Formats: sequence, structure tokens, C-alpha cells
Amino acid sequence: MKNLKILVVDDDPVTRLMLKKTLSKSDCDVDVAHDGVQAVELISRRFYDVVLTDMMMPGGMDGIDVLAATKARYSDTQVILITGYGSVDTAVTAMKKGASDYLQKPVNIDEVLLRLAKVSEIKALQKNAGDLREAMDITEKNAGETIQLLEMAVSGLENKLEDIKDILSQQDGDAYERIDTALRMLA
Amino acid sequence: MIKVTQDEIKILSKYIKDVSGVHLDLSKAYLIETRFKNILEETGCTSYADLYTKARSDPSKTIERKMIDAITTNETLFFRDSGPFELLQHKILPDLIDKRASKISNFFPLPIRIWSAACSTGQEVYSISIVLKELLNDLSKYNIKLLGTDISDAAIAQASYGSYNKFEIERGLTRDKLQKYFVANGDSWKVKDEIRILANFKKLNLMQPVNGLGKFDIIFCRNIAIYFTVEDRKALFHKIADILEYDGYLIIGSTESLTGVCPRFEPKRYLRSIFYQLKE
Repeated sequence: MKNLKILVVDDDPVTRLMLKKTLSKSDCDVDVAHDGVQAVELISRRFYDVVLTDMMMPGGMDGIDVLAATKARYSDTQVILITGYGSVDTAVTAMKKGASDYLQKPVNIDEVLLRLAKVSEIKALQKNAGDLREAMDITEKNAGETIQLLEMAVSGLENKLEDIKDILSQQDGDAYERIDTALRMLA
Repeated sequence: MIKVTQDEIKILSKYIKDVSGVHLDLSKAYLIETRFKNILEETGCTSYADLYTKARSDPSKTIERKMIDAITTNETLFFRDSGPFELLQHKILPDLIDKRASKISNFFPLPIRIWSAACSTGQEVYSISIVLKELLNDLSKYNIKLLGTDISDAAIAQASYGSYNKFEIERGLTRDKLQKYFVANGDSWKVKDEIRILANFKKLNLMQPVNGLGKFDIIFCRNIAIYFTVEDRKALFHKIADILEYDGYLIIGSTESLTGVCPRFEPKRYLRSIFYQLKE
């Protein structure tokens, strides 16, 4: 979970401060925004691994707007929504729009840490898959070049051998001359 | 997790080879366990031997299909290893059209028959469609048969639908091609009808006879024979030689070789790629 860049968006100063303090203690790099407008401004300037946003906020931009703005800028950023009690339907709508998870109020910090650990694990797996793919691409490219050269060389030699076989199996003319021609072809 | 025993690997690998051609040696216990774990649970089997018995005696072949879907590797991407597609666009298609045009009256559309022998989820076929669309401006002048086959039902279903998630779509496609040939559909992207319409998909086991497919001018058979035994590889490329037009083109995977596999083919090099033609 170390080094995750997280943006906490909440109009409630107590939740904001609590999340910033706890997540910073877990070695996350945390920014905070007090509403959707400020969040979108921060997102436009910096990449975040995770945006943890309240659903209902004053100022004309709610959690769904923050989600849309985040996904439009960085589709890789994971957005976790914090929803009020009994608003599961809204949370499901958010998930359909690309949110990776949701938490219900009151925010339980252990639950937050658990969700972030999951995000961190997925990121590590994605990086690992990317690294493997990169290694495979390089190996495949190098092996491909070598195999192509060998394939052409072997085919050339096979053709040459066929020609030599033809010359040696001819019945007419001088045998020494035929051997001589064959040897010259080999050289 | 239920462990697979050495005896079970032997039985299962023979069964998998019979139904799919995929060759698994004794070192592939982890592959059997990771790929068949879910099927084992779903079918309520208590061991891999039990799974084998159930799969064999299932008249609907549902378990067999699931096992094939699970064991086949669908590692593919759009324009995988750009070489073959450059080859297709700059060498093979122009040469083929020249050769065919001199033999056929302008009145008839020119036939171009292409087969992608192990098309997985369709990326190779749609990459070919895109090349055709970009190279041949007026497609009505051509009678295009572009066939994609694969042994996996799930892969063929996705290929036919032509829909890809963001991870699949991000691999190999330029932004320009994505905008031009795909439409966004929620979280996924769907290939446009003009590209989709060029292709046909069909389930096919390459271990079975393939001559029912007819003749082809161009055959892509990339990165599938690597999963077969040498004997099965030989048989496959002989079957391919039988249905490739005498002056047709075969493209195999960039790290594959036909040396010692099928002497009927001759490699030819163009820029940084190789294609094969039948020896005269």
C-alpha cells in the first residue's frame, strides 16, 4: 500500500482530516479537496492512484461528477465513493460508471485500508503483467530475428544440397568434373 | 486446493491432446490445477480423475468445451508483431492482386481468400480486415472471404461479437485506428460493422481434417503449433499445404520455424518478415 497517491474529497473537515492523517501514516501520499470543484482542479494537475470521494457535496459537483472527471483524465485511477446510509442504488450507478468500489458512512478506517490494499495489489499485478509482457515482447523479437536468419540459411543450404545431389547423380559426362563442380558449389 | 497426481496428469493430458491438440507434459501440473480449478468446483468433482470421467461421459460435451476454453491460451493483440501486417499490406496483397487481376476479367470481383487458423478472440482477423479496408479503397471490386477459426467456443463467441474491453483494446491499436474502426460501448469497444462484415468465424479443431474449408490464397497460422507435439505440427502444416493455393502465402509466428516440419514450404524474406510459399 506504500506510495499510493490518494486524493480525499469530502466537505466534512473532520472526515477529511481523519483520512489524511491515517492514510499518511500508512505511507500514502495524500491530498485533500473540500468539494468537487477543487477536486477536479487537483486532478487536472496531478495523477492519483486513488480518488476517495464523498457522494453528496455542496458546490454543484457531486461524487459522480468527480468520478466522471477523473475517468476522463486518467482511466487508470481507481475511484472509491463514500455514500450515505441507504444509498446503495446510487453506489451501484456509480459502479456502472466506472467506480471501483464504495464505502458506506460512517467511514470505518479499517475498511478504507482494506479497500486500498486491494487497489495496491491490483496495481502490483498490473505492473507485473506489464513487465512480463514487455519481457516477452523483447524475447520474442530477438528470438524471431535469430530464427528468421536460421530459417533462411537452412533453406538456402537445402536448395544447394538439392542442386549438388542433382549434379552428382547425373550419369553423363566426367565424374571428376561433376565432383569438382559440386565442391565448388559447396564453397 | 485439490492437487493433481502424476497419473491424473497423464490421463488428462492425453484427453486434452485428443480433443484440442494441446500437448501438456508432466511438468504442467500447475497449469492443470490453475485452469481447471473452477470447472472442478462447478461440476462438484472430488478429484481430477473424477473430472476426466465426468467429461468423457457428458453427452452434451459441456464439460469438454469448458476444459478447452480453459486450457487454450488466448494471448493475442491487435497487430501482434507488426511485421506480418506490413508484409500483408505492402507485399502479399499487392502481389496477389497483380497475379489474380491478370487472369480474371475486370467484370468480376477479384477473389481474395484469407484464413486465420487460430484466431482466438478475433484480434488477428480484425487487424487483417483493417489492412484490407486501408489498402483496397473500393471493396466492391473484391470478393473477400476472410475466415477466422478457433477451437474455443468462448473465443469464437467473443470474436464474432467483436467487442473488447479497455485492456484488450489498448494493446496494439493506435488511437487513430481505434477512433476510425471501433465505437465505444460503455466500458468496451465494438468493431464497426464495415470491418465486422468482412469476417466470418467458425469453431474448428486443427487436429481434424480442414479440407472442407476450401482453398485459400493467404493463411495465417501463428503461435498455435507451438502447443502441439512435433508429429501433430507436421500433420497440421501438411494439411495447410493441401488447402493453400499453389501460389498462396503462409504466415507463421515470428518465433516459429518450418525447418524439419514441412518440406513442402519454402521461406521467403521481405523486409524484416518471413512468409512461406509452396515449393514449385
